[in-house]
Amino acid sequence: MRRAWLIAGRLLLGGVFVYAALTKLTQHWTLFAFSINSYGLLPEWALKPVAVGLPWLELLLGLLLVVGVGLRYAAAAASALLLVFFGVMVRAYLQGLEIDCGCFGLGEPLSAKTLVRDGALLGVSLAVTIAVFFSEARRKRQLETNSLANPQGTG
Amino acid sequence: MRSRMQFSTLKTIGVSLAGLCVAVVVSAQSPGPTAPVGIEKGYGSKSAPIHMEVFSDFQCPACRGLYEATLRQVIANYVATGKVYLIHRDMPLPNHPHARTAARYANAAAKIGKMESVISALYANQDRWSADGNIDAVVASVLTPAEMRQVRELVRAQEIERAIDADVALARQRQVRSTPTIFITHKGRITPLPPGGVSYQLLKQYFDYLLQQ
Repeated sequence: MRRAWLIAGRLLLGGVFVYAALTKLTQHWTLFAFSINSYGLLPEWALKPVAVGLPWLELLLGLLLVVGVGLRYAAAAASALLLVFFGVMVRAYLQGLEIDCGCFGLGEPLSAKTLVRDGALLGVSLAVTIAVFFSEARRKRQLETNSLANPQGTG
Repeated sequence: MRSRMQFSTLKTIGVSLAGLCVAVVVSAQSPGPTAPVGIEKGYGSKSAPIHMEVFSDFQCPACRGLYEATLRQVIANYVATGKVYLIHRDMPLPNHPHARTAARYANAAAKIGKMESVISALYANQDRWSADGNIDAVVASVLTPAEMRQVRELVRAQEIERAIDADVALARQRQVRSTPTIFITHKGRITPLPPGGVSYQLLKQYFDYLLQQ
């Protein structure tokens, strides 16, 4: 049952990351750069590298989460990324900036709704990350117990 | 057996990604030409490949910032060279008591072919007329007495009110939430730019990309 929740969580998270990446990769990078610039956090020279690189990172993390490869790293990186996104969004919202969220391409205003959605996604991401680390630790413990119970290859 | 299952999973993911790509591209497109509204308040040539519409409120500081830091350069480098047709759209906000009057003067000036100098003067002196409401004096400082007489007559005309209302209706239709808001039309496709982050350097790269298409 716990395993099923973990799979559902990582598929949801991975799917959202892939979708978010594709909405940005199918448009010119400057459109995402406008969104990043509206948060007023990055200098002009950093806008292009971030606007070009971030969607590819989202795509990579999304695919790793969906396929289930390198889960520990992918889940931890996704959580870190979502934490940063959520932080800058809350900051902009509290400042009263009337800007776009920039989460899924163009035309989505930053609002309480987007904050709740991204907060929920961050919650899912943290839960997936914790679950992945716990299941890895449990698997390791099990392997150690098994090797102690059945010592082999003593030569 | 296992490798066949892996191949099948990868194939499913590949097909899903391709479908998602198509859906994203289709949903991102917003076809339709630039809507003709009231008095044409454009800079440059209508046959320019890129049309840039800016919904503004003359009393909004962010609109002044955009005009001073970005639009002046767009006018000099892209409008003057026939690459961009820049259209001013009015969206006077209710919390700015003199914004609609300023819009009336700008529209009246557009009617006599003096929009550019009047808009420039309105933004340059925004602090002054926002404080005392004396827009007439600011406009008079950049027009000849004969032009000013025409503008004063036009300011009260119904045609001017209708032109502003038409822009406001278009803003509502396009779900404009704040000023300034920019729409770029290229090859019949309208793209709204995210509010608040439009700098000249980024806009220049976007225009250059569109012009290469």
